[in-house]
Formats: sequence, structure tokens, C-alpha cells
Amino acid sequence: MPDSRRFLHPEAIKRIARLDLRARQIVEGFLAGMHRSPSFGQSVEFLQHRQYTAGDDPRYVDWKVWAKQDRLYVKRFEEDTNLRCTLLVDVSASMRYGSAAMDKYEYGCTVAASLAYLVLRQQDAVGCVAFDEQARTVVPQRTRRSHLESILQALDVSAPANKTDLYPVLHKVAETYPRRGMMVLVSDLLADRPPLFRGLRLLRRRGHDVMVFHILDDDELDFPFEGPTRFESLESSSALSCNPRALRRGYLAAIGDYLEEVRRGCVRHGIDYALLRTSRPLDAALAAFLSSRLGMHHRN
Amino acid sequence: MPTFAHPALLWGLLIAGLPVLIHLINMFRHQRVRWAAMEFLLASQRRNRTWVLLKQLLLLLLRVGAVAAVVLMLAQPYLPSRWGGVLDRRTIHHIVLLDDSYSMTDRWAETTAFDEAKATVERIAEDAARQARRQSFSLLRFSQAGGADGGARPDVLNEPIGGGFPEQLAGLLRKLAASETAVGPRAALEAVENVFVRDPSEQRVVYLLTDFRARQWRDPAELVPALERISRSGTALHLVACVDRVRANVSLAGLAPTEGTLAANVPFFMEVKVANHSDAALNDVLVMIEADGNPRPALRIPAIPPGETVAERFPLRFPTAGEHLVAARLESDAVALDNLRYAVVDLPADLPVLLIDGSLDSGDAVYLAAALQPGGPVATGITARIERPRYLSQNPLGEFRAIYLLNLERLDDSAIEALEQYASEGGGVAMFLGPACTPAFYNERLYRGGRGLFPLPLAGQEALPVDRLEKAPDIEASDHPILRVFSGDRNSFLSLVAIDRYFSVPENLPAEAHPSVAVIARLRNGAALALERRFGKGKVVVFLTTAGPAWNNWARGNPSYVVAMLELQAYLAGAAEAFASHLVGDALTVPLDPERFHPQVRWIPPEASLSQAATSEAARLADGRFAATFSAPGSGIYRAELSGKDGSRQARRLAVNVDPREGDLDIVEPVRLAEALAGVDFRYQPAATLQYAGEEVSGASLAEPLLLFLLVLLLAEQIVAYWVGDHPRDAIGKGGAG
Repeated sequence: MPDSRRFLHPEAIKRIARLDLRARQIVEGFLAGMHRSPSFGQSVEFLQHRQYTAGDDPRYVDWKVWAKQDRLYVKRFEEDTNLRCTLLVDVSASMRYGSAAMDKYEYGCTVAASLAYLVLRQQDAVGCVAFDEQARTVVPQRTRRSHLESILQALDVSAPANKTDLYPVLHKVAETYPRRGMMVLVSDLLADRPPLFRGLRLLRRRGHDVMVFHILDDDELDFPFEGPTRFESLESSSALSCNPRALRRGYLAAIGDYLEEVRRGCVRHGIDYALLRTSRPLDAALAAFLSSRLGMHHRN
Repeated sequence: MPTFAHPALLWGLLIAGLPVLIHLINMFRHQRVRWAAMEFLLASQRRNRTWVLLKQLLLLLLRVGAVAAVVLMLAQPYLPSRWGGVLDRRTIHHIVLLDDSYSMTDRWAETTAFDEAKATVERIAEDAARQARRQSFSLLRFSQAGGADGGARPDVLNEPIGGGFPEQLAGLLRKLAASETAVGPRAALEAVENVFVRDPSEQRVVYLLTDFRARQWRDPAELVPALERISRSGTALHLVACVDRVRANVSLAGLAPTEGTLAANVPFFMEVKVANHSDAALNDVLVMIEADGNPRPALRIPAIPPGETVAERFPLRFPTAGEHLVAARLESDAVALDNLRYAVVDLPADLPVLLIDGSLDSGDAVYLAAALQPGGPVATGITARIERPRYLSQNPLGEFRAIYLLNLERLDDSAIEALEQYASEGGGVAMFLGPACTPAFYNERLYRGGRGLFPLPLAGQEALPVDRLEKAPDIEASDHPILRVFSGDRNSFLSLVAIDRYFSVPENLPAEAHPSVAVIARLRNGAALALERRFGKGKVVVFLTTAGPAWNNWARGNPSYVVAMLELQAYLAGAAEAFASHLVGDALTVPLDPERFHPQVRWIPPEASLSQAATSEAARLADGRFAATFSAPGSGIYRAELSGKDGSRQARRLAVNVDPREGDLDIVEPVRLAEALAGVDFRYQPAATLQYAGEEVSGASLAEPLLLFLLVLLLAEQIVAYWVGDHPRDAIGKGGAG
């Protein structure tokens, strides 16, 4: 397997393949029955006929069939005008922390690759932006199966060393992808919250369906350290020598506040939010999230 | 300041710095973690910096404190003084061991050592009564401490000290007087453990009030074990000296008859011994003598060197038989009790002796009888009875003070057995040989390889060649009581004795086979002439020549013969050896015939004695005698009254004297005492300066409070460690996606 394919985990793909990624809200790029898209399809290829049902666009009624058989059929196409999904993957230095089998970067990339595979499998368009303090690589949205390789290469950043700065990245994404679609942010969100929320709000205003996969390591959530420890920042030169047990309570309180702030911010802007622990099996995490999202969709 | 049982362990306090050291080392040994979520860590650190610092400091202090507490606890701290006493609720038990031996009657100014000791005891009780803590008191005099078999009789036993106790004790002390015993402190010290059974809730202070006489304390090896046990048991030991310095004292060390015949109307000598217990020579020491209450001319002893004992003889003669009292008295000095000494001399009306002569004409016996019982105005007290050999086996021999066997050819077995029994029970047997004697009989029947009466086997008759030049006397006397009178210049008559024949004895026999055989006179040619041996309790003296003039000219008109035979008789009778001398505390013994007397014997003490008349029951003693015993509490003449089964009464008197050694008032210097008692923890101080010593044991062991403190520290350390470190709480967002 090429190095770039290390983010594709067959088990995870297999587990989530049966789940369709559905846009919870109306997005552009409608495919009949699947996506209620306000846009007209382009470059369609006939696939099959389907009996007309109320609500179908009369433009797609196959009048020739009607003429022969006096029945109304609509034409279906091989590739619908699709869901445009953009994977925003944080590859900053902070993502390089990991105590489990995978660090946050690898876990996040795997989440992104799995989603990309899923999206491509259902013939939707997927693009990718790998970013730290700015967008490092941008892969345009494509529906080709072979596009997956481009995304995987884009995720394979060799030396991530910069800080996360989300607002410029999200702003640029909003500018780059003006058409409404699904924005999936995969990050540890260890950045200033106001720019983060400003950026997410911007995406929502542009009509994007936004999902946030918040990747954190067990250590960051539980802070199990003992004994004298010197913590050195992955993204800056700051360091702290301390007895971690002494600071644990304050740390857990701080990170608890932070998680609550992030969750509330996401909810406030109508963003799907999922906290993923790197120790948790990826397929289970994704399956749980997507199942829950599917349920929400059906309720809608 | 607290004291420590193991102060060397306090070096272990350095270990208390270990937590600090570990903390410092850990600061340099931290692990490095490349961390992403620094924001929250820094926020926590900013928020908790002061508290964390304080908590860590507190934790460090608790750990240092815990280690220090462990070290201090192991060192077993003890907090004396009143501060410790506040914590200590145990009773202080004051145990006073009071020396009441007669050396404590040492007098100076208007007081005595015993009075000083009693005043000190009162002061201890008064001081103790003023204390807030509970106190108890015990008092044991040395004379009441009993022996190794116990039997201690404390005057006060663990009496709580209340308000009225000092007065009560003072009343008791007023009645106490020093005893006339010479008892040492050993029994009293051992009684501390045996009598005063240790109560765990008490702390002890033992006061040993004594005069520290050199006789007992210069080499106190036998006292050290008991003293060590006391000091090791956590008891405060105070050696309180009741005498400030040595005072000169003269003691009567002895009063007894010397060798010689003791009988009614027979002159004899008594010997008085005077000991000078001082550093200076004494001149012209007067000794007053009383006989049966009548003063006799005083003795003047010209000089007694320092530390020496001088013996002086004086003549006495009592015209009547029976017990006669003799008393000697010195002039007053530091200790009065040893200035008076008593003796009871029991004089028989006569001394029957038995002379067994083997010859038909009893020639030898006649000469000997004439020497022992000369008749006329000369009284020897001896009644000589001449018998044939068969008398020995047919009559009791116990009444005779000595038996003489003269030129015996042979004796039958029953006679030999009777003689041997007589000698083994203490009788004296003298044998003179002669022409009728045969070595075969003597060796086979009387010597019997050393088991019989005869000291050595006979070899055969020898003739002593005449010394024509008369260069040396035939008899060479040794320094033996029988012939001592001829020593020096007084042997002129003895030198005239000419020995013609004698029996020779081999002297090359192994000495260990005949340990009690001694040669008391030799002939000019070196051959043994007179032998002596011990047989049982008795004595056997053998002259290897004749008692009569057959083989020598000694008995024929030589005055030394009479003298020598009287000395021989005195020696065989052993009156001086039998003279009984009793010391205070000894068991007085009066043998009696159970067939003639009732076993109850009434003992009447001397007039001056504190004790009253008592009755004791006669019983069979370990040595087989049937006798009544009585322990004499003081010196003087005791009278034992025996009741005859026929209604008669018989009284016997016994003289009891103080132990003259106790009159030696030399005391041991404190420095010397400290050296001798190197392993004993004690405090030595004069009686006058003794203060209430309860505070020394007032105090508490801090080990238990420290243990509690340590437990509190460890608990606090755990709490603070929990507080500082916190315990893991449920992980945030463990539910994962949500």
C-alpha cells in the first residue's frame, strides 16, 4: 500500500460503507431521491427509468415512453448532480500528539480518508483542505473514484510544525467553495475559540452543512500524568515543569470548560459536533456518529 | 529538655532531610512530554500556582516531620521535669532502704548517722506530700530485709502519701533504733525486686541511706548485679551517704579462753582482742574486765598500731563449776556497741580422763596420772581413771574428756570400734607406745591403711644412739599447741629429756593419703617422735615412745613432762575450740536430751534488749542433734531455760556479741564508689543535701505521643498528597462521539 493509503483502514471503511452520508440540510447538487438539490444537473448519463411520482420535475419526464406506453416515467442518470463535501483536516503540530496507536493527526486523516471514500462511493464530490495556520494543500471537489488518491496525498503532510489558525483557513475555504455543500472539519481545535466560531459561522452563513470531528487524545482529556514532568509545547516554545497531579484538577476544569464552550458554540450555529478519542476504534466512532446523523435526518 | 534512651540514634534526624533531597532530585529527573494542550495546563498552573506551592511545601514538611518523628520515636525520648509530669499520671513510689546496722550509730556532735538517716527519710516524705502527683512510700530496714530466702518485713509497704503521712511516718521513725547487726545492703537491694512487686503504673525512686563503709562498698561486686537490675528497670537510684567522714573507733574484736584446761578452781587465761580502726596508733588502751559482775584489774594495752588488732591475755580462776560471765569493756568512742563484749565460760567441776594401760603394773599410767592429777594444793581439775583395755568395750566413754592408750599390746574389735566412735564424735585420744606394742597389731587393726585411728604404720623399734657431745636435745619441738610452751628460751627442761628407744614410722608415704597427719615433735636424728591426726571431729595424738620411764627419762622428775601432759590434755579436750561465740543475728542453739527435757525452751533475752522472752520448740537439726534454736536480735547474755520432765529446771547462758568487723568505720570515697559501680546509673549525695527526687522520674516517655503524632502526620500526609495530587476522576467525554 502506498504511504498515502495508510489512512485508509479497510475495517473502518467496511463498517461505514453501508451508511450513506446524507446532507442534513438542503445542499446544492440535487440527485433525485437522494439529494433534494435546487440546482439542475449537468453532464448527466442515463441510467434507468423510474415511474413518475408527484413532485418530480416534469422536465425529466420521458415523453417518448409516455407516447408509446401512455405512462409517465422519469429518466434517471448515472451521476447525479452531487453532494459537494469538503474535508478540512488540521495538520498542525498540535495534531502530532498521541498516546494511543495513532496520534491525533493520523486519526484525523483516517477519519477524513474514510469519509472521502464514503462520499466518493456514493458518487458525490469530495475535496480536501489540509491546513495549519493556513491552507497547506487544497484538493478540488471531484466525484471520480480515483480522486481519493489525490486526497490521500494531500493529507500526507511531512513536517507539520505550525500553529492552528482557523479563521483565515475557514474564510479562505468559504471563498474557495462558494457553492453550498458539506464542510467536515477534522481538528483538535486547539486554537482560539472566537476565530474558530467566527469561521464556522461564516461557513454556515454561506449555507454549508458543517460537521466538526473534534479529535483529542486520552491524555489530553484525562491528564493521567504523574511524577515531575516538563511539558513542552508542540506549537510554541512555551514549557512548564510541574507536578502534573497538582495541576490536574485545574487542567481538567479548564479543558472541561473548553469542551463545553466548543460544544455550545457548535450547537448555537447548527453544527454537528463529535468528540473523538484517538483510543476509540475509528469505525465505531464514525459509525456511531453517522448513525446518529442518519437518525436526525430521518426525523427531518 | 527531653532526654533520650538512645541519643546516638538522633544522628538519624539527618534522614529527615531525605524528602527534601528526593524533592530536589526529582526536580532534575522530570520526564519530558511534548504537549499540545498547553493552554489548559498553563491556565491551571496560573490559577493554582500559590496553592500548589503551599500544598507542596506542606506535604514536604509533613514528610520531613514524619521521618523525624520515626527517628525521635526510635530514640525513645523522655520528657523529665514538671512539664513531663503534666503528661505523666503514674504514681511515684519512694522506696527507702535504711541501713540500721550498728555502724550507723556512729556518733558526732549531737547526732548519729542513723538519726541523720531518719531525718532524711522524714524530709523525703514531707517533700513528697507536697507534690500534686500521686506518691507512695515504702521503708525497709537492712536488718528486716531477710536473707536470700526472703522474709523481708518492710516497716512501710507502698503506703499512699497523703496529708497526714509525714506525721505518721515521723511517729514510726521515732520508735526505730539502729540494730546491733552487721547486715549489709545486699538483701535490702534484692528485696526491691522481690518484695516491692512492680506495678506498671508506678515509677520508682530508690533511696539507699547508708554509711558506705569500706568493708561492704570498697569492692561491691556482690551488690553490683542487684544495683544494675534496679537502675536498668528505669528506677531512679539515690545513694545517700549518712556519714560525712571517717571517725576513729576502737573495737573489742574477741574475748575467749585460750588453750588450757577449763575447770572449776583451775587457773586459765582469757584473751581479749582490741582492734584499732583509725589512722593513728593508740597508746595505753584500757580494757575493763568483769568476771561474774565483779570488776577485775583493767588491762592496759601499751600500743595498738593503726588498723591493727592486738590480743592480750589475762588470767582468771573461778572456784566453782558452772557458767561464769566474763565481760570486757572499752572506753567510749564513736561507736559504743563494739566497746562491750561478753563471754560465758562453762567450767566443769572436774575433767575425767581415762588411762588404759596394757601392762600389768600400769606403770606408765601411774606416771601419766601423777602428771595430770598431781594432788595436793595444785588443782588441775583432771580426774584420771586407770583401767584395763577391756573397759573400753564394756563402758560408755562419752563422759571422759580424753582417753590415753599406754603401751597396749592389743585391743579387741569392739574396743577399737568404741574408741573410733568416741574419736569421731569429737573425743581426744592419745597413745603412747612401749615394749608391749607390736607393729603387726597396730598396722592391721589401728592403722588399717589410713582408715583407723593410728596416723601412720609402724616400722619397728629403734634405738636412739646416745649423744655423747650433747650438741642437741633429743626432742625438737614444733610450733604446736602441745609443745609451744617450750619454744624459745623456756625449753631448758625439755632439752634434758633423753630418748632411748622409739618406734619408727615411714614418712615417705604419699601425703595425699594422710592429709591430716602432722609431725609435732621429732628426735635428734630427724625421726618422728610425736604425730597428730584428725579423726572425724576428734583428735588423735601419738607419742612413739613410752609414757613412763622404760624408753626415756621424760617422766622421771622432769618438770616439762607435767607441763607437756597438761597441755596435751588441754589440747585433746579442746575446751578453747569448743568455746562458743555467737554474733548478733546468729541462731543460738541449745542441744537437749529429749528424754530428759521437754522440747519447749524459753529464751530470756538480756535486760537491755528490746525483745521479750520467747519460747522455741526443739527439733532435730540437720547434724542429727536435738536442739532448740533462737535468733538473737541483739548483744548480751541470753538465757535458755529447759524444763526437765522430772519437774526440774535448767538454765544455760549464751553470750551474743556484735560483729566486730562492723566497727571498722572506714568509708569508701565517692570517686572510688563511682568506679566500682561504673555500670550502674545512680546519684550519690550526702544526706544533708538530698532534695525531693520525684521530679527525676516525673516525666513521660514521649514515644507513645510521638507514635500518635506520627500517625496523624502520616494521615495528614496522605490527605495532603491526595489533595495535592488529586485522585483520577472519571474521564471527560469518555462516551466519545456525542
